[in-house]
Amino acid sequence: MSKKVGPSRRAMLSVGLAGAATVASPGILRLTAKAENAPIKIGMPLALTGALGSVGQQLKRGAELYAKLQNAKGGILGRPIELLIEDTAGNPANCVRKAQEMVERQNCRLFTGITLSSEALAVVPKLAEWDAVFMSSDNGDGRLTAESFVPNFFRANISGPMGTRAVSLYLRSGKAQKFYALGLDYAWGHNSVQVFEDEVKKSKKDFLGKVFAPTGTKDYSSYITKIRQSGADAVFLVLQGDDNNAFLSQSQQYRLSEKVRLLTEIVDLASIRAVGDAALGLIGSSRYSFTYDYPLNNEFVALWKKEHDGAVPDTFEGEQWQAMKVLEAGITKAGGIEAAKLRPALEDIEIESVKGKVHIRKCDHQGVQQGFMVEVVKQEGIATPIPKVIATFPGESTTPKCNSMTFDD
Amino acid sequence: MRAVTRPILIVVMLALLLAPLGLPPFAMTLLTEALILGLFAMSLDLMVGYTRLISFGHAAAYGMGAYACGWMLLHTGMPLLFAVFAAALLTGVIAIAVGWMCTLATGISFSMLTLAFAQLLYAISFKWTSVTGGSDGLAGIPRTSGPLGFAALSGKSGFYYFVLACLVGGFLVCFALVRSPFGAVLRGIRENEAKTTALGYNTRLYKIAVVATSYALGGLAGALYAPFAGFANTELLFWLLSGQALIMVIVGGAGTLVGPILGAAFFMLMEHQLSSLTEAWALYFGLIFIAFVLFAPQGIWGLATAWLRRDAKAS
Amino acid sequence: MTTLAFLLTESLNALSQAALLFFLGVGLTLIFGLMRIVNFAHGALYMLGAFVGYSLAKGSGNFWVALVGAPLLVGMFGAGFELTVLRRLYRRDAHAFLMVTFGLALVVGEAVRLIWGPDALQVAPPSALAGVVFLLDEPFPVYRLFLVATGIVVAVAIWQFLERSKLGLLIRATSQNADMASALGVDVKRIRSSVFGIGCALAALGGVLAAPLVTASNGMAATVIIDAFVIVIIGGMGSFLGSLIGALLVGFVQVFGNYYLPDLALAFMYLVMLAVLVVRPGGLLGKET
Repeated sequence: MSKKVGPSRRAMLSVGLAGAATVASPGILRLTAKAENAPIKIGMPLALTGALGSVGQQLKRGAELYAKLQNAKGGILGRPIELLIEDTAGNPANCVRKAQEMVERQNCRLFTGITLSSEALAVVPKLAEWDAVFMSSDNGDGRLTAESFVPNFFRANISGPMGTRAVSLYLRSGKAQKFYALGLDYAWGHNSVQVFEDEVKKSKKDFLGKVFAPTGTKDYSSYITKIRQSGADAVFLVLQGDDNNAFLSQSQQYRLSEKVRLLTEIVDLASIRAVGDAALGLIGSSRYSFTYDYPLNNEFVALWKKEHDGAVPDTFEGEQWQAMKVLEAGITKAGGIEAAKLRPALEDIEIESVKGKVHIRKCDHQGVQQGFMVEVVKQEGIATPIPKVIATFPGESTTPKCNSMTFDD
Repeated sequence: MRAVTRPILIVVMLALLLAPLGLPPFAMTLLTEALILGLFAMSLDLMVGYTRLISFGHAAAYGMGAYACGWMLLHTGMPLLFAVFAAALLTGVIAIAVGWMCTLATGISFSMLTLAFAQLLYAISFKWTSVTGGSDGLAGIPRTSGPLGFAALSGKSGFYYFVLACLVGGFLVCFALVRSPFGAVLRGIRENEAKTTALGYNTRLYKIAVVATSYALGGLAGALYAPFAGFANTELLFWLLSGQALIMVIVGGAGTLVGPILGAAFFMLMEHQLSSLTEAWALYFGLIFIAFVLFAPQGIWGLATAWLRRDAKAS
Repeated sequence: MTTLAFLLTESLNALSQAALLFFLGVGLTLIFGLMRIVNFAHGALYMLGAFVGYSLAKGSGNFWVALVGAPLLVGMFGAGFELTVLRRLYRRDAHAFLMVTFGLALVVGEAVRLIWGPDALQVAPPSALAGVVFLLDEPFPVYRLFLVATGIVVAVAIWQFLERSKLGLLIRATSQNADMASALGVDVKRIRSSVFGIGCALAALGGVLAAPLVTASNGMAATVIIDAFVIVIIGGMGSFLGSLIGALLVGFVQVFGNYYLPDLALAFMYLVMLAVLVVRPGGLLGKET
């Protein structure tokens, strides 16, 4: 009993409640002995179905390929990786219940891939009680590393404010002078539009106005009219999923991009496939792009193509892969998965990943990494447009101040 | 029938009382949530099963209770016990206004008015960020134990017993209500409202009263859910939950009080287990409901009592 | 943009949205008027229409094939469901229909995900409709004009069908009083299957026509069912003309509301619905049910 093992404490608690303390001791011994080569369980309560099912499926594939290849190499610390994948349908109530089950029934102490920000925000306050670490791979909400930050939360992916910052850094050298913004009417949309507005004003350009549309908006005509009337050179979009697809399809039908440059907080491959040529010319930041020419990324893309019949990895497949790599480095350094050891090991860790260097900073557990700007272009021989990397920015300049969503310069 | 079911109910009650002694932690988590949803579905049964007021917006009650309780626990330091009942009371009081508006209409229009109210609340929960937390909702809701020595309520088993007590209390209130003269008027409204009015009853007042009671109990369920799950967010007000609550009532057996509790437990456990087994869980889930309609029209409680009666006859 | 151009283009936008809403609402209201069923699966059938349309358009390379084929196939599916399942339930109370159509919505929604996958799919408008026309110097998508025209054509066609055709007459008679119609020798069973099929086909038509605006996606069923409810309720359950007025009202309020008061975008429909129901509890043209 020298090591503090999660399971034993829990087991003791529950068995103790049953008033059968005598049965407890053999159980504890068995669990402790097994911990040496017991599988490393990674809980993934994902939105596999529902409106964001496409994202959940990407996260699942990204983690599955990683686990398969890593297990072939002997796992981590000689322990096999076991993914506990469950569908939440994007409902926070389901997500909390499934995560709780992984903790209470499967002794899971690691989480990743929790898909929606609303789900992540519901789970995060429970991490301390569960003694579990959560490595975010897709949650963009800036608050998770600011007001809502908890010590057991880590973020390997690029956040909303970081994506917005990359766009604004890119615009500093551009011709566009007058900007308008359209965001989804929830936390992510408001945060990112706010960051963008501040950045535009700081660089002494004109911010003409903003408007927010509720998620699930089917007709964007009124918003398109507003954008056209604003007289802006460029509009900054903070949209995703069905809303993004609807806006891009309809703005193409309006020939909006002939008048106004379309900028976006997130360029996503699945969305490009869904709207086809309507995405052409779109400029925006990218969480991950398979087109980034970098040895580790080329290697990853080749692995992916081999596994998936020549298909290229999508945005969140790359993000999930990177999150697994960060987690792996932390576990290796900590020599185990217990939160008390893993947390300090992950703080200040630095790895080489598909997107270049990723450094988890100690103050708010955000992964500092390069920001990417891409343009959606047509490439010969490929039917659907692809995002081409047109600029990168060092992580130090795209990551906000610690525990905040604001930037110094 | 009463004679057949009573011993069963006593056995179930005993089992529920002893459950924390024998069940592993996660089974307790599931059971607690099932009881909360059971209370929610039972509250809807007062309207649907006994008065034929088919509400399409019962999530409004659940969500209001959850937000009110969550807000009080987060921002006022009020202890759990008071916050839960205050939230239920508040929901009931607001429901008087809702009931007044909705009972202007009857039949399907009544259903749609309740839906409109629930969806308006849903829209408000997005916009009234300072109270509801907007799309983030309220998270990290504590189970503040408070000064009167109710510390045990914040623990896992303590909270379970609290939920169980609320459910049993709610059941007794409903049971007494439907067997009282008041309940007789409700059944009159269900069978023939015009006739009941002709008998000199102000049926609208009765309907408003039943809406308020039903919402208060639904609000109680929501108020328990917030500290149970530790969060409250907009999904709790969304129409999908209202639809699911109706299904819980119908699948359990409307107009039986016990049935909807079973229906809620069945609904939640089935969804939880099926979605663990297959990604295509919604397909099987849907087929189960269609099968219920075709082959077990009286719902789970109907199946259970039929089986018990046959058993009783055989012996 | 001049005020006149603004009013013209926004009004056309409102009409195009009203057309889509009308396809949804009129199917729901026909089904309710005849069978007293609130069809919770209406949104799922609309989504099914969009995906079937995607496959037909892709397979044939022709949007028009999808426009005709998808409603036909979904309509046949609906009629089949009525024949095999709903038919057994007419003696039962409203609960049975609520649950069975809720179940159908789940089954159809999941079937779509299993067959077409979780990603959104592109349905491009046919090239003849892909361009813009200039109205008072403002570009306006031809496709939206096409939606307005289709809406008018379908509305007139349904109206004429209900007023003039024999089947339409029988539908109206059965909606008024099924027992009486049956006693007079009307084949009520056949009428019910046809109407449920027609209602589903209209939902699917809405789905195919909406797809070029919003893509075919797994999320499209969830919100649209409520839109359909609202329209039908505003107009009065079971009233054909009511669903037309409801669609126009919601279309205009939503489009102009989004422009002038975007903060209330989520609430407009419900505010209109509450306002109408408080004044006329049965809907604009409905009887109290």
